Amino acid sequence: MELSGSTFLLEMINFLVLIWLLQRFFYKPLQAVIARRRAGIEQQLADAQTMKQQAQQLQSQYENRLNHWEQERQQARETLQQELNRERARQEAVLQVSLDQAREKARVSLQRREQALLLQLEQQALRQASRFATRVLEHSAGPELESRLLALLLESLPQLASEQRQALREQEAEHPEPVEIRSAFALESSAREQLQQSLQQLLDRTIECHFIEDPALLAGLRISIGPWLLRASLQDELQSFADVALATNNSVGPCHGPDSQTQAAADE
Amino acid sequence: MADSEMFATVLFRLGPLEITGTVVTTWGIIVLLGLSARLLSRRLQLQPGPVQLLAEGIVTTIEDAIRTVAPDHVRLLMPFIASLWIFLVVANLAGLIPGLHSPTRDLSATAALAILVFLSVHLFGIRSQGLKNYLRHYLTPSPILLPFHIISEITRTIALAVRLFGNIMSLETAALLILLVAGFLAPIPILMLHIIEALVQAYIFGMLALIYVAGGLQSQQLRQQSKGESS
Repeated sequence: MELSGSTFLLEMINFLVLIWLLQRFFYKPLQAVIARRRAGIEQQLADAQTMKQQAQQLQSQYENRLNHWEQERQQARETLQQELNRERARQEAVLQVSLDQAREKARVSLQRREQALLLQLEQQALRQASRFATRVLEHSAGPELESRLLALLLESLPQLASEQRQALREQEAEHPEPVEIRSAFALESSAREQLQQSLQQLLDRTIECHFIEDPALLAGLRISIGPWLLRASLQDELQSFADVALATNNSVGPCHGPDSQTQAAADE
Repeated sequence: MADSEMFATVLFRLGPLEITGTVVTTWGIIVLLGLSARLLSRRLQLQPGPVQLLAEGIVTTIEDAIRTVAPDHVRLLMPFIASLWIFLVVANLAGLIPGLHSPTRDLSATAALAILVFLSVHLFGIRSQGLKNYLRHYLTPSPILLPFHIISEITRTIALAVRLFGNIMSLETAALLILLVAGFLAPIPILMLHIIEALVQAYIFGMLALIYVAGGLQSQQLRQQSKGESS
């Protein structure tokens, strides 16, 4: 073990040279590369952080947009529900009106049917009443009743209205024809004369009378002066009664001809 | 056992300088490391290959070790300390190559490295704190301790040199003796022990150098901290 000055000195120089070489070709380049890599990694981290922040902002933005869409959808749904409710209410109102109309129509139809049925029943009752009255009067008719009817006729002729009396006179003046007098029983001569005088006073002229016996009248008289009829018989009364009953039941009754008008006037 | 096997012999003379096997081996190591560094530095990439990855691992490991001891002076101490570790590992392992001897089995080489450490301690200390402040720490906490400081500086430098020399020298001598006595394959376990011992001794020398230099750099800081705590 000895210490060599030359080796000592050369080793010092060698080591210093080695330090320079390694510093020049090893440490600096490697440290530079490591520094660049670290800078790149930090840059990537910064970029990633920036992207993360942007992604979070986008996420927040999309979440806000989704919330907004959800609100719009909810609002649209509520609007649609309101429109549906309104449309349903309108449809229900229209249906209710239709139902009311149909119900009213059915009520009116039912009422009409009831009225028609009631009318039919009344007509049937009137017909039965007419037949019943006819049958009763047929059994109770006789010369006495005819005499009373004649008296009643003689009392009522002077009481005819002046218009009717004038119309009879004008008719007789225009068409002078014999007056036809029908009776259920044969009239006595006094009754005939009394009747002829009353008619002459009514017509204010001399007339010719034809007396005809007609049992179909049951009792009473029927006087034909041209187209005019003066009826004072049970048959005519019963017929008039049935006609008046039918005319009264038919609210819109059949049209009356001149004969029926004359007959009604004569009845009065 | 020839002297050439035990001690470095002079191979040739270069003027007044005697060129020994230690110097030539050191030159070979320098050329090897220099060329390797040069080749590696020309192929550096951001995406490292296996070799670059190994080199970066070595550099970052040494930086971390320096940062642990002297966190404020990594850039300043990195070339000296890293070069010590790399050179000592290669130099200690060079004895495993047949026909070569570790330069660190030569006391002249280890002494040169120890003297460089000694000078570096003072150089970095004066550079960091200034001459006056640096020298003042020898008088703290009391001027009475100045001789002990001086003795400490000398003895630790000598110990640094002799420790490395003694360990490597003894390893090579033991391997040589076993080879002579037991035969060709018998020294293999000793050679494996040589590898471990070479790495350990390189680590110890470099770590002690780092601690010495860091102590010289941070002596003023420690003084200021002690003053602050006392006040």
